[in-house]
Amino acid sequence: MSLGLRERASRVLLDNWHGQSTIPASGLYPHQWSWDSAFIALGLRHLSPRRAQRELESLFGAQWPDGRVPHIVFDASTPADAYFPGPAFWQSAAVTAPGHPATSGLIQPPVHALAAWETFRAAPELARERGFLPRLYPRLVAWHRYLTGRRDFGGRGLVSIVHPWESGMDNSPAWDTPLSRVAPTTSLFTRRDLQHAAAGERPTDLDYGRYVRLAQTYRDHGYADDLATHAFAVEDPLTNALLAASEAALADIAVELGLDPAPHLAELARVRDALADTLFDGGDGCFHARDVHSGQPLRCGSVAGLIPLVVPGLPVADALVKTTVGPRFRLGEIGLPPSFDLTDAMFEATRYWRGPAWFNIGWLLWRGLRLHGEHELAATVRAGLLSAADDVGFREYVDPLTRNGHGASDFSWTAAVILDLLAAA
Amino acid sequence: MPEFGCQEQLLPGETLERKWEFAQAAGYHAIELRGRGEYALLDRLPELRRAAAAGVVMPTVCVEMSHFFAAFDPELRADAIAQLKSQLSVIAELGGQGVMTPASYGMFSRKLPPFEPPRSEAEDHEVLLAGLTELGEHARTEGVHLYLEPLNRYEDHMVNRLEQAAGLIEETGLDSIRIAADTYHMNIEEDDPVTALTKAERHLGHVHVSESNRFQPGTGHVDWPGVLGALAAIGYTGYLTLECRLRGEPTTALGAVPSFLRRAS
Repeated sequence: MSLGLRERASRVLLDNWHGQSTIPASGLYPHQWSWDSAFIALGLRHLSPRRAQRELESLFGAQWPDGRVPHIVFDASTPADAYFPGPAFWQSAAVTAPGHPATSGLIQPPVHALAAWETFRAAPELARERGFLPRLYPRLVAWHRYLTGRRDFGGRGLVSIVHPWESGMDNSPAWDTPLSRVAPTTSLFTRRDLQHAAAGERPTDLDYGRYVRLAQTYRDHGYADDLATHAFAVEDPLTNALLAASEAALADIAVELGLDPAPHLAELARVRDALADTLFDGGDGCFHARDVHSGQPLRCGSVAGLIPLVVPGLPVADALVKTTVGPRFRLGEIGLPPSFDLTDAMFEATRYWRGPAWFNIGWLLWRGLRLHGEHELAATVRAGLLSAADDVGFREYVDPLTRNGHGASDFSWTAAVILDLLAAA
Repeated sequence: MPEFGCQEQLLPGETLERKWEFAQAAGYHAIELRGRGEYALLDRLPELRRAAAAGVVMPTVCVEMSHFFAAFDPELRADAIAQLKSQLSVIAELGGQGVMTPASYGMFSRKLPPFEPPRSEAEDHEVLLAGLTELGEHARTEGVHLYLEPLNRYEDHMVNRLEQAAGLIEETGLDSIRIAADTYHMNIEEDDPVTALTKAERHLGHVHVSESNRFQPGTGHVDWPGVLGALAAIGYTGYLTLECRLRGEPTTALGAVPSFLRRAS
């Protein structure tokens, strides 16, 4: 008997569930990842609202005392050497105190409040019985306070990220210039990712050596957020856009809890204005990251520059929509979002974040397009994502032109996004 | 969408035909019969044939006896096997699907004094395998299934989890034996009931629905969306059959279950 897309997507999330959270994929990603969990909750809420709530609760259970939500929470039942860099590399207990879950010290984009609000909306009665939002809300607030309080290196009201891994788009061409200044580590290490995926679909060894150097330096400075420590510091449009969208969600959560939403709406407006004023380029109709050290915009065609569409009230939404359907992304034509400008010589159709289409990015654009009244284009994206998953399975990413699948199979957020898109029918 | 069954003793009405009228109106699609000892089900054949002719859907039988196929006493074992064989033949004649049984019920618990059963684990295993093989072969001959139902540790000391049932079934090598999963027992025994269902994919044949508190679904803390999502994801197309106590006014309680489960799926 052949199962429907919903049942197959459910199976991926059921198989990847590890008791209190979901691994992104067996083999390649055997722990809990921060922004993965947020996207996973968006789908899991349709399968088991209780598990979706647990997914976010377990992530925030590993939150650091300073408010940061670590990008990896290590699964204690998984062998320590199954992933590099593992718990022994990060040494999080030195900062968080013993008895705390072992984690990395980096962050990932703050899509969590948005996921928490959507998870609540899927089963309000259960969430109220379990005290889901009353318990999570102060943690979400502390998370945002960490970002805005400790990471505004540029002094322009925007959050800086200090490692390409923090962007979620590890090897995006947007990071090539600032990363080129980083000397690769001289420590010996063994990449574990290449045991599970083809080298041509992953970051290069040279980049990996730089990633490790940046993380080592951060660790060796006790994860202190001091610009002088960080060779890499950029204001990323995706990170800041998701922060703004999550502030809007915090306002909704505050109302549900009988609290004042005004501070969150003020934060939404503040981050939105800072984004539009400083990272938007009217010339090419796209947002660009800014290198905090050089003060220069990192002009390139990363799809991260379109993600501010998820921000309510974005004043330049029309220009962004034009860019999505223009020759560089061709969203209306192919229905899948390339992660990089199709017309750029650096576009690589199958290498990680340098070209392939990712389902979480598709979901964010789908949401943003609907938010700004672009329902027809949103429907095209929804249909593109559904048909791609139906054709090639729940792959980590797909070639946006040939639609061939690449990276991990049975990838959790792909399945989760598909469940959410199906439920939106 | 799942189809729902309800055990006959829960339904109001003097006859199966009356019970069926109520069941259909309440949103159920099948009645599960209860198979008493001393060939009671065989004796009911005229009644059952009449009900079948009237359109009553009766795909399954749940054994209701004081002894079971893995009893300590060899005579009781032999009788339980003879009764089950007869019940398998009856349900085959009615065009049904199968008969379910636990290994034992109320005979011994390792969690209650005197804690050590009179028979060794190895001997238990031998008895289980012999009984299952004999019953499974009879079921195969009749073209129906024997459903082995794990019970919680306080009710049976031999088969408590789905994976134990799956292991025994694999040892017999018989396709005619399947697992009957019961969400009440699973809530006590399984590390994660939802995951246990997906892992039991190959052998799952029947599902009893009941809450963590043994009352009807909706009164306790079973993760019903998770359970139903897992059943859909493994392609389970059998019945979800109500076997439980009823909290509240019985007909109201029965009527609430199908809509509750549908909403959770």
